[in-house]
Amino acid sequence: MSRLNIIALIVFAALLIWVTLFQPEAVSRIQSGAMVVFEPFMKASTRLESGVETVGTEALSPVQMQSLLADLERERDRLKLEVIQLDEIVRENNQLRRALQYVEKAPLEVVAARVINRKPSNWYSTLVIDKGRSHGVRVDSPVIVPVGESAGLVGKVSEVIGENSALVLLLTDEMCQVSAKLQNSQEQGILGGQRGALRTMPNLRLRYLSKEAEAASGRKVVSSGAGGLFPPDLLLGEVISFEIGAIDAEATVKPSVNFEELIDIFVVLPVMAEEEAAAEIIEETATLPKEDS
Amino acid sequence: MRFFLLVLTLLAASFFLQEFLPVFDWAYSSRLLLVHTVFFTIAIAVPFPVMLLLALVTGFVWDARYHVPVVSPEAAADAIAQAELPFGFTIFILAVTGALIQGVRPLFRRGRWELPVFMIGLCTILCLVLQYLAISFHRGGLELPPELLWKLVMTGLFSALISPFLLLLLTRLADRTRFKIRSEDRKRKHSYDGDTI
Repeated sequence: MSRLNIIALIVFAALLIWVTLFQPEAVSRIQSGAMVVFEPFMKASTRLESGVETVGTEALSPVQMQSLLADLERERDRLKLEVIQLDEIVRENNQLRRALQYVEKAPLEVVAARVINRKPSNWYSTLVIDKGRSHGVRVDSPVIVPVGESAGLVGKVSEVIGENSALVLLLTDEMCQVSAKLQNSQEQGILGGQRGALRTMPNLRLRYLSKEAEAASGRKVVSSGAGGLFPPDLLLGEVISFEIGAIDAEATVKPSVNFEELIDIFVVLPVMAEEEAAAEIIEETATLPKEDS
Repeated sequence: MRFFLLVLTLLAASFFLQEFLPVFDWAYSSRLLLVHTVFFTIAIAVPFPVMLLLALVTGFVWDARYHVPVVSPEAAADAIAQAELPFGFTIFILAVTGALIQGVRPLFRRGRWELPVFMIGLCTILCLVLQYLAISFHRGGLELPPELLWKLVMTGLFSALISPFLLLLLTRLADRTRFKIRSEDRKRKHSYDGDTI
């Protein structure tokens, strides 16, 4: 080996060690910078992908579009009425809860986001969304989508990459583990996905169930809320098979969310405690420029 | 010098093109790792110190874009918990596989492409294997489902399939910039890495 090669190897090893010793904050800053460069390309790629998907689908005629618009307007009016009625019910419900001295259940505060990059990683089931730090998205924020009448869990925020982007770890990944229960029962377990992102829609595994669990095929699985990371009663999937082992039992669960068709999703924002919110307001007021007297 | 600048431009372009390459669900979620393939193609053509420099640059940018800071639940409680695939890990695996591929550089310099093409596919697979082993080490169990093997093989195959075009492009760029990839004087004695002595 020539002297030049040895020197190059030593310099390389030193630089490699230096890079691997970067603190998470430094890594985050580097990734934010990279995201600024790559984001336009990611968005262009997603636009191209959806453009390719729509090629070959029949375009609607103006008459059909007019009819569709009229249908949608009718549906909007019906939903408006429904919301008004629901608001009334919520108010009444909260009044009754107060009368009974119940703690009011805070509604989920969500921010809508759009998927700008699918499956960026080789080994993790992830996607990138267009909402980040500036929208209040935090690490571990749950991500949901409407599934029929309920909310289905998509995953959790694994990393807030920048002001306008975040990485979501999907429920189908082995590392996104959710405390789950069989609907309308107290039977709890841990739901997890598959290692290696080998398929887009793998079945999930609900482990640590008791042998006596009534996990019939088709039974719904929802989040239990234990641990405080995910809100309770988010739809996760439905049981397709149940196996009893030596110590406990395990169910195979088909996810309720179609991960192949995710476009618009909702990030659940963390609810601040009253004291925390007050402290933040005081801090913001203190940093405001003082008016000349 | 012009050749190295062009090579860097090619690498940068591969990063942007990678964003437009789809994941093939029909092939067990495998994909064409264009950046890795371009890196290995260049690694065959350049001297060892330049290969190390390119491994550093390519690995750094790759991790800046694709690093996922997932910490295994067992390690999460640890105050200095490291991600399963730490930032900079790609630099390491590109340098290791790049050094391996330099072994076929004399063949490439003699104008033989069969083994280099095979090695590009193999080194792409090796990169993925090293990452998967690191993940499995952190999670404490090695799972080897058949889909995983197919994913590795298909990824390597995609790389091997496009590598002849990249090797051709590289030789054309070298000709244009008068960078000598091929050893012209075969009568002279060659050292281990193809450099004339």
